[in-house]
Amino acid sequence: MKKKILATLLCASLAATLLAGCGGSGNDASSASSDAATTDESKPAEDNTADDADAATEAEEDTTAVATTGGDYKFEIIVKSYQSSYWQAAVTGVNQKAEELGVTVNCTGPNAESDIADQVNMLNNAINNAPTGIGLAACDQEACLDSLQTAMDKGIPVVCFDSGIPSAPEGSVLATIATDNYAAGATAAENLYPALKDKIAAASAPVRIGEVNQEATSESITSRGLGFIDKIIELAKADSKSVAVIGNEYYVNNCSDKGDEASADIIIEVAVPAQTTVELCATEASAILNKADTIGMFGSNQVAAEGILTANENLDVLGTDPETSILAAGFDAGSVIKGAITSGKMFGAVTQSPLAMGQTTVEVLTKIANGESVSDVPTQGYWYDSTNMEDASIAPNLYD
Amino acid sequence: MSKSSAAGTQNKSVISRLGGQKFIVLLVVIGLIIFFGAASPDFRKYSTAMSILDYSYYIALMAIGVTFPLITGGVDLSIGTGLICYSLTGGFLIVQKGWPVGAGMLVALLLGIIMGLFNGVLVAVMNLPPFLATLCTCMITRGLGSIFANRLGISWPTSGTEGSWFRNIFKITVNGTKIPLGFLWVLLLVALMAFVLNHTKIGRYTIAIGSNKEATILSGINVKFYHIMAYVISGFFAGLAAIAYSAVFSTVQPGTGAGFELEAIGGAIIGGVSASGGVGSVEGSLIGVFVICLLKTGLPYIGLQANWQQIITGLVLIGAVLIDIMKKKKEKD
Amino acid sequence: MGEVILTMKEIDKSFPGVHALDHVSFEVRKGEVHALMGENGAGKSTLMKVLTGIYKKDSGTIVYEGKEVEFHNTREAQDAGVVIVHQELNMLGHLTVAQNIFIGREFKKGIAIDDKKMNEEAAKLFDMLHIDIDPSETMSNLTVGKQQMCEIAKAISHKAKVIVFDEPSAALTEAEIDELFKIIRDLRKQQLGIVYISHRMDEIKVITDRVTVMRDGTYVGTLITEECTKDDIINMMVGRVIYEDPKQHSMVPENAPVVLKVEHLNAGRMVQDVSFELRKGEILGFSGLMGAGRTETARAIFGADPKESGDIYINGTKVTINSPEDAVKCGIGYLSEDRKRYGIVVQKTIAENSTMATLEKYMKGLFINKRAERGIAQEYVDSLATKTPSVDQLVVNLSGGNQQKVVIAKWLVRNCDILIFDEPTRGIDVGAKNEIYKLMNKLAEEGKSIIMISSEMTEILRMSDRIIVMCEGKKTGEVDIEEASQETIMNMATREIS
Repeated sequence: MKKKILATLLCASLAATLLAGCGGSGNDASSASSDAATTDESKPAEDNTADDADAATEAEEDTTAVATTGGDYKFEIIVKSYQSSYWQAAVTGVNQKAEELGVTVNCTGPNAESDIADQVNMLNNAINNAPTGIGLAACDQEACLDSLQTAMDKGIPVVCFDSGIPSAPEGSVLATIATDNYAAGATAAENLYPALKDKIAAASAPVRIGEVNQEATSESITSRGLGFIDKIIELAKADSKSVAVIGNEYYVNNCSDKGDEASADIIIEVAVPAQTTVELCATEASAILNKADTIGMFGSNQVAAEGILTANENLDVLGTDPETSILAAGFDAGSVIKGAITSGKMFGAVTQSPLAMGQTTVEVLTKIANGESVSDVPTQGYWYDSTNMEDASIAPNLYD
Repeated sequence: MSKSSAAGTQNKSVISRLGGQKFIVLLVVIGLIIFFGAASPDFRKYSTAMSILDYSYYIALMAIGVTFPLITGGVDLSIGTGLICYSLTGGFLIVQKGWPVGAGMLVALLLGIIMGLFNGVLVAVMNLPPFLATLCTCMITRGLGSIFANRLGISWPTSGTEGSWFRNIFKITVNGTKIPLGFLWVLLLVALMAFVLNHTKIGRYTIAIGSNKEATILSGINVKFYHIMAYVISGFFAGLAAIAYSAVFSTVQPGTGAGFELEAIGGAIIGGVSASGGVGSVEGSLIGVFVICLLKTGLPYIGLQANWQQIITGLVLIGAVLIDIMKKKKEKD
Repeated sequence: MGEVILTMKEIDKSFPGVHALDHVSFEVRKGEVHALMGENGAGKSTLMKVLTGIYKKDSGTIVYEGKEVEFHNTREAQDAGVVIVHQELNMLGHLTVAQNIFIGREFKKGIAIDDKKMNEEAAKLFDMLHIDIDPSETMSNLTVGKQQMCEIAKAISHKAKVIVFDEPSAALTEAEIDELFKIIRDLRKQQLGIVYISHRMDEIKVITDRVTVMRDGTYVGTLITEECTKDDIINMMVGRVIYEDPKQHSMVPENAPVVLKVEHLNAGRMVQDVSFELRKGEILGFSGLMGAGRTETARAIFGADPKESGDIYINGTKVTINSPEDAVKCGIGYLSEDRKRYGIVVQKTIAENSTMATLEKYMKGLFINKRAERGIAQEYVDSLATKTPSVDQLVVNLSGGNQQKVVIAKWLVRNCDILIFDEPTRGIDVGAKNEIYKLMNKLAEEGKSIIMISSEMTEILRMSDRIIVMCEGKKTGEVDIEEASQETIMNMATREIS
């Protein structure tokens, strides 16, 4: 009886905090995500036919292996946020697979990707719920370390997806399902650089390539940013051009060679806004796009890429012809970026496979629960532009 | 009597004749433009001016509205998260439910008015301190926005797609040249609200409440109504700001918006609204907003990282408040 | 005196725990100035608030111009011609004079307010009242006296037939009071009914025709002013006789040492080259008109306002006082004229207020030693005869006189030997005034030295051992009590300085 009263009181206070608008965000997440699952029902059908997307295929194969042993497992899935449709696609994948395997999942995530403390709190709550396993897309590489230790002490297995946590306590993270972000960033450079090559070769003065990263804390964003920078440096050096990296200290200090701005042929300028919002990314992007010597741009996730496109609304400098315009490469999909690529505003972008990533996460968690051994599952980033958007290997990953 | 009548009125300084703080701040705005223009050739481009204007609309609109609660001696902290909430809801109805864009815009405005009404009732009828009342509604709108939009980020129709006509309200392309129509609307609204503040009952009683609420009640005025109206105006302009934001940035993310209100309130205070109420002007608030917008847009041009913008804006705000304090001290002497 | 315009009969009003008005009756005739007197809390203001609809009466009738009326708010009362000029000025400092006068009934041109017409109408009003004020001036730029004139103009502009003045002279200079009386006589000539609430006995004799006295929420009686003496009125007010005789001789011993010496003090326009000495056990009166620079001098000595130059010696040693903290360390305590703003924290208990300036003495490590705090507070409640059920009482619940005692206790707990009393009895009723006087005399006898700033001549003459007079920021005179009279002091206070 006492417990009941206590529970009622707790509920009441929870309701009160929900009313006040704070803290309540975690509770409605599952209902919201299941909505997302139903509205996107047309997607999985497409996805199943897309057997070229190897992550998805992998997922398919594994499903058959574990499907029969689902049992009554309960997993807590924590995403970085619900801000972009990227995460909505990931949650859809999680829910699809959960239904398929007959396991229970509870998806939560903070309001914004910069709400690091909120996410740590959610992770701690998840650990307290004593689930069978936890799937985590960490907003910050360091902030979760203590919680991961706690999870390990309590024997709760954690699988990271989207972003890895390189410095996690030994044995706490059993598998990481993530795009090789460094390679994916490099992919953007590999496709953007050739298009700019002639212009760089012909330039009499230094040229500028801008990069907008929404932050400098998460593994996925920093890896992509650095992957892009390092690849440009590598390719430029092969053409015997020198490169300097300026702007945000993290990226400048962690790239392979920050060079010397005074003597460089190519200047890579890295901008990071104060918060992860489109309008602040746009402000940063405007400043770079407005510089006369800028020839290329890279936005390392959906928010940053949309920020570049917003900035272009006024500047009108983006296009696909390197002689007359600035070439911009984006990351991830979403209707804005897809529209920009179709209309020739954006040169191209790298997409991941969030749907497959979500599916694989649930699958790996189920395997762990079944006592099977698991290992990291790298997923890939694919370059897409106006020429290959409709390809069967690409289209399913281009969520809205 | 003759002895004291000499001290009865005070001599006005040159600056106060020219419009006081407004005038100083206008000089600051011009100074900033010259400074950034001199420091960066890219800043001198037409497109830069367009960007600054584009990014200023939503802050300017919020600042026009929040000037009213500020002059009553209160504050409205809910406009930032409110803006995102209204924009998310409107956008959700347009994109997910297929409503016409105009209807979505109306919903955003209506929500703004309702939230303003709610704030007004909390402050004027229930006597909650404005800081607390609007802090609560700030949290409420933050949560509500996510719920209304199913926690999804929303993209309002982008240019070139169906329903993007509303973006032309703020920017129209004529013969390849972009015309910042939005600035015209902002100026018109400033003129309108300056008229409301200085020449109508709503404005007069807004100042009266900020001067001495008790005395205003004793003058037989329906203070509750006019006090509520100040917050309704603030909410309505947050709704307008939501439309401006959606038109300029198209993508709206749940959970953001906290902090927008500080830029608007900061702008108003830089523009001469007294932190203790009773004093302020709509045109001053607009000029103040441009100080903030210029810093925000200009600093990246001279190679300063984003965080510096916040630090420098904070310092400018301290300067503005100090001017306010010094003015009061001078009045006392 | 004309016919009766307003009659209040058997008005009864209770608040929780207080029977504020007990069947009070009151009437006003056309063309009379009717004084309403009584100690603080006697119910004068409550009665007037019932009249103007701010409070709702429990029972009784109000007959106005022959008809029974009940106003539900000030607006209704105003519209009917019953207007109150409040004790606290109800000014909207950021608006202009004309905007203030016509607040709530602005002239309009379409939806816009017609400020031009309001200025014209206000100018007409001022002409009629022979007041020289620019209607477009911002209210906060006016002196208190002029603001009061605006309040009156506002009242007149309501086509008032009955005007209630609630302590109108409290903040006015002598000259302004003369001006006010001129206007009131003017209004009387125009057959208005005027209610005049005041504490100042001399004014009552000068301006009023009849006096109604209230005590403890009851009606005591009505007298014709010409036919009664000051003592008659006071007796009715307090129910006992009060002696307000001047002090005859200085109580300070011949050889008393100088404890405070101020030399050539300068601090802005209001404090110019002020020098004086204060001796042990002395009550030094500071007299002068409003705005003479007395409070400013006290604040400069206390370090509350910056000084430009001048030396201060305590017991013969030169000291540096740059902040109130320095002053308190030198043993100076300052009791502000505005208790609620500077003197006490009304929402705290007596005990908490008493130790406010000495908290470090009542700390046990990081915590406040509540028991010691209450002990010392009780000690002073007893010795100062503060009327309170306990030291845990919130100060807001005390009367003005008892609040003043709490402030005194605060500085006594701090062991201050020099106490500056700024208007020690402002807003305190007659009975409690006497107690404060007794207390000050007792403190002086015990060897404390007191500077007393007061605008009430009787208070200065009754309490001071020596009197310093200031005018427009300068010391214009110094007299021993033996030679002091109202006339000599007034002479010095209004002396033209060349």
